[in-house]
Amino acid sequence: MANISELLNGWGFGKQTAIGTANLVATIWRHTNLNTKPWAKVPVNEDDRAEIGKGHEFPTQLFKSHYNMPAYELSKYASSEFLAWAMSFSMGNVVVSGSGPYTYTIVPALGATNPTGLELPYFSFLQQIRPGGSAVLDEMLVGCAVKGWKLSIKNSPGRASAMCSVECVTTGQYTSPSAITLPAISTPHEFNAGMISALTFNGINYLSGGSAKQFVSMEASWENNFRPGFFPGSGAQDGYQIQGRFEWGDRAFAVQFVVRVQAGSTEYANLINLTTGTATFTMTRDANNSFTMLIQKMGFNVAELGNTDGIVTLQITGVQLYDPTNGMVTMTITTPLQGICQ
Amino acid sequence: METVFMRSPDGELKEVEVTTEALTPRMASGWHQVPAPAAAQKPVVVAEEEK
Repeated sequence: MANISELLNGWGFGKQTAIGTANLVATIWRHTNLNTKPWAKVPVNEDDRAEIGKGHEFPTQLFKSHYNMPAYELSKYASSEFLAWAMSFSMGNVVVSGSGPYTYTIVPALGATNPTGLELPYFSFLQQIRPGGSAVLDEMLVGCAVKGWKLSIKNSPGRASAMCSVECVTTGQYTSPSAITLPAISTPHEFNAGMISALTFNGINYLSGGSAKQFVSMEASWENNFRPGFFPGSGAQDGYQIQGRFEWGDRAFAVQFVVRVQAGSTEYANLINLTTGTATFTMTRDANNSFTMLIQKMGFNVAELGNTDGIVTLQITGVQLYDPTNGMVTMTITTPLQGICQ
Repeated sequence: METVFMRSPDGELKEVEVTTEALTPRMASGWHQVPAPAAAQKPVVVAEEEK
């Protein structure tokens, strides 16, 4: 028996060289996770109940089918390290520069030019409880990918004001015991909402000037909508078929935010005039830790009047348009850690 | 100004300034970072002499 608080999580901050080749320990970090569940392995069996010729309708035999691995959420307070990791592995086209701190510039990869086609970088995920000779749990899931993420910013004190959760998928391939000794736990450089240093959506600056006290919260999300990765030759683990690729489908980038309504609010005008503009969201902790999300062309799709804690508010649903020159979105993250997604 | 090496979808190699304005249009059209070519790397001997 073991308490769930004994669960240790680590995963590759560097990318695997191939979907079936696990990260080396030098490219694995160890982090805390607000999701208190381990990543379940779900082998699926099938039977012969649908087959005639047995003389009755009842199943007589079991067959191994496939590993149906559920998606798994990494839920963390937003930090420069974790945001650099999440954005790199979810979008795929990464440029890294600097010699410490390191700046990661990230945009969504294009299928036509991405060296791995519709596939994003893969990483390995480790979960351990009392690793060693009598481990309760010690396994490394190989061939994980970032399905999507959600970045939540809200008016509240502390680290919970800036959260990032990442949804991951995995092929079903694993190694147990992992034969990996996890490194010491990382100390990420976390942000909070008080560190927001730029906040301009579609021409409205919510950080200074007349709209400075309007902003309440924001939720941005990315979804890769992976296609199932079972195909001839996709591989097997313990006799169960595993997935051999995760190809993105129709990717979706969503942004919603809530602002207080005041006289002269221009959100409605922007909506009905089909006004579009860039959106810049920046958190700056210090010279070594910052995050900027630059949406190249944002319009407003919905502006719904409501109330938040007794204050009259508008919930704005943005529509992010693809700019022919600059694309959809550019993430720029400065962090002390080298080698993310490299 | 710091630079990185990038390769276009057509195979063109270019040294690009590390600014959002310079990187974004290229990355959005499929350019990817590549390691610096050998000729652009500083010889180890020179680095030792600088010490």
